[in-house]
Amino acid sequence: MHRKAARGRRKASRRKTQQPAPQRNVVALIAGGVGELMLTAGAVVLLFVVYTLWGTGIQTANAQDDLRDQLGLDAGQIEKDPIPLDELEVGDAYGIIRIPRFGEDWEWIIVQGTEDADLKNGPGHYLDTVDPGAVGNFSIAGHRSGHGEPFAQFPELQVGDIIEIETATGTYLYELDSAPNGDPDGNRIGIRDSWVVDPVPGEGDEAEATERRITLTTCWPRWGSSHRMYATGILIGGEEV
Amino acid sequence: MYAWIWRHLPGPWPVRLLIYLILIAAIVYALFIWVFPWAEDAFNISEVTVG
Repeated sequence: MHRKAARGRRKASRRKTQQPAPQRNVVALIAGGVGELMLTAGAVVLLFVVYTLWGTGIQTANAQDDLRDQLGLDAGQIEKDPIPLDELEVGDAYGIIRIPRFGEDWEWIIVQGTEDADLKNGPGHYLDTVDPGAVGNFSIAGHRSGHGEPFAQFPELQVGDIIEIETATGTYLYELDSAPNGDPDGNRIGIRDSWVVDPVPGEGDEAEATERRITLTTCWPRWGSSHRMYATGILIGGEEV
Repeated sequence: MYAWIWRHLPGPWPVRLLIYLILIAAIVYALFIWVFPWAEDAFNISEVTVG
């Protein structure tokens, strides 16, 4: 078998006009096919990267437009009478979040709920947590990579930064008292560390809350989700409608 | 594989090229609409919630 193939190759090189031996043809075909499959797999992986970095953002941008309409926004203000917060369905537009640290024009529509389907449309309100302004811990989760990456600059949040929330019931200003403070690994927690969204962070869900808090969570590292990252703060002002 | 497809496409070469490009575009579209969203969910690469 080996020898035949070798002889075939020699013959073929000597007499170029003749067809190559059939065995060689088969090997070349298989090698070529495998090579093509590998190149194709590489291209598909690259396309997947394009999808996560850029493709997911298109859907999110469209969803944000729909959510803006749902809120009845006019000049950045919620104008019409939107649905009361406690009557919202999962996936509905909930309110607006503004974080000046991320830029003056940085503004996202929050959705009700934190399932994958909700979060791909924008930052989501944890269903079990209170509404903004209330005693307890109003909590939000958001993507840091892909899906419009609302929390892309999350580690840049500093203690003292203002988080502004606007809903149908008013505008609320929170000041962070714990944040990553520019450390890319700052405020890193495990994926099961749900204590950060407890009514009193770290005290379990039975503890009686006395403060009006906000907590934001996102993924860590930015391009993965082996851990989470959080920032938290306390209500310092605002006005109810 | 690609050469085999090329040989089996009908028509003169400009027509073949057009069919080939449409075929590739359709596959890329299917990847973006169905396959990649599935893969993203299946591999848990973009989870941001605690609990």
